[in-house]
Amino acid sequence: MEILTAFAIGLTFAVGLFQILRRNVIRAAMGLMLLANAVNLFLLTTGAFWGAKAPYVGLPVEMQSDALPQALILTAIVISLGTTAFVLAMLLVIARRYDTCDSDQVDGLKQ
Amino acid sequence: MTLFGDHLVLLPVLIPFLGGALGLLLKRQQPLQPWWALAAMATALACTCGLLAAVWRSGHPLVLQIGGWPAPFGISLVADLLAALFVLMSQIVLVVGMLYAAGSRDSCIQYPTFYPFFLFLAAGLSGALLTGDIFNLFVFVELLAISSTILTAISDDRYGTEAAYKYFYMSQLAAFFLLLAIGALYVSCGSLNMAHLAVLIAENPHQSLLPLAVALLAAAFMIKSATFPFHFWQPDFHTAAPTPISAMLSSIVVKLGVYGFIRMCTLLFVDYSVLIQPVLIILGVAGICMGGISAVGTHNVKRMLAYSTLAQVGFILVAIGWGTPLALAAALVFAFNHSIAKSAMLMLAGYIASRASVKSASFDIVTGVGRPLPLAGALFLIGGLGLAGIPPTNGFISKMMVFKSGIAAQQSWVLLIIGLASTLTLVYTIRAFMRIWWQAPVQGIGTRPRGDRIYAPLLLVAMVLALGLFAEPLVLLARETARWVGNPDIYIQAVLGQGRTVIETGG
Repeated sequence: MEILTAFAIGLTFAVGLFQILRRNVIRAAMGLMLLANAVNLFLLTTGAFWGAKAPYVGLPVEMQSDALPQALILTAIVISLGTTAFVLAMLLVIARRYDTCDSDQVDGLKQ
Repeated sequence: MTLFGDHLVLLPVLIPFLGGALGLLLKRQQPLQPWWALAAMATALACTCGLLAAVWRSGHPLVLQIGGWPAPFGISLVADLLAALFVLMSQIVLVVGMLYAAGSRDSCIQYPTFYPFFLFLAAGLSGALLTGDIFNLFVFVELLAISSTILTAISDDRYGTEAAYKYFYMSQLAAFFLLLAIGALYVSCGSLNMAHLAVLIAENPHQSLLPLAVALLAAAFMIKSATFPFHFWQPDFHTAAPTPISAMLSSIVVKLGVYGFIRMCTLLFVDYSVLIQPVLIILGVAGICMGGISAVGTHNVKRMLAYSTLAQVGFILVAIGWGTPLALAAALVFAFNHSIAKSAMLMLAGYIASRASVKSASFDIVTGVGRPLPLAGALFLIGGLGLAGIPPTNGFISKMMVFKSGIAAQQSWVLLIIGLASTLTLVYTIRAFMRIWWQAPVQGIGTRPRGDRIYAPLLLVAMVLALGLFAEPLVLLARETARWVGNPDIYIQAVLGQGRTVIETGG
């Protein structure tokens, strides 16, 4: 189970990084979301026992997952929700102002 | 300060935060907003002064365990001299920044959310400096990043949104690095409290995930402080922001990364500091050279000052890299003085841009605009001398301390390079001064009779001179801070204190 989780997280990271480097700004935003989820999954595994065991499941204490990282993830999810909404709002403004979704053409600052 | 006791630590964070939240309720009372924000920020500054005095007088860090939960389990807010000094520095600049915003004629200042987000920026910055919990640091850093992005995105500059978009991606990556580092630290040590982490890392410094945590934290702080390889977003972001905001970003917000590096080298990863410090020296020297050369080559006053920040942060990093108590004191004095001088210069650049008949800080437009404005010229010249480190300004004191500590640490090559590169500061500030105040204006560009008010930069330049002439209190404070920072036990004892026995018996 641990191996599977590790690979899944690594794959999410890879796809997220690949998307964030794409030219299309919407794909880049998706990459940002994927990366946020990959980081959250990584945080989840820092407290997990055997890859996936819920805390408070009636097992002996030393075999239960740690609940603290899950609290951290809750905070991180809320923050990433806010940032995603904000990124999409900024993309809307950029797409209207520059009339493109290609990040190579959003280059007014280079002048 | 028995009135508030340990709760005094909370006030510099809580007052701007509540001020921002209540400020949102005032969205229909536009004329009231600047005064409300200024009052909130000034109260916070007064509390910070009280906090610094209380820490200084008591001789040990003030710690607030939120909700009464003892140290490694709850969240603690810690004000040692380092944190209190940085909060004082940022809040002085923030108060003056709001004063500038109150007298500014930009249309983005009229948005009902401008001042609330300005206050949230202040809360995020103060919180990130005062927190003793590394996850809390992440939360405050996000608050800071989002509010500064919003404030830049609404800028009058038509490229504001683009710059904000660029910065936001970088700051999100920094946040991910920070979160990954937090995860790695939690796996290795099982704690999030910085003092507790310091103890656990010192006990067992060779765990496999710790080098990863060091690298990720360093990357996050490098992005935050716009250190050399991660600086490319910084000139755009600092140039496109509204003037009062760019003065904040380029002076105090980048200092958060500097603060992080000091905490990394002296508290969290003392065993790894031999690894971190050479990197800081190399990146600092690279930043000084790159920043100086790029600043000479730019065509925009604000952009020039943004590149200058890259160089000046380089000096601070080099001093942290040397790591001796004298060098750390020099880094603190440099950080304080640079914040004051750089925000003054950016406000003056914004003032000049607002007086040009076409609002822009580009040299092609502002050339000669300063001719009818001798007061701004004098202030710009003094501020520029402050950046370059010519007496009697505060920049002289900070550069002298850096060079003195370098001589004591026998770093002759580094000293030679940064000494040569720092003359570039004089070149670009004087060149800007000559173009704006001496040359004849360009055809068709005149000086407007009215623009932003000049009180705020006047106040800051007065502080530049005052800190240059009466440098002793600040230098003494910095040396005492460096002594505290050099001994992590002071911080650890203050935070864990009574809770120490609980951890040991609890396993």
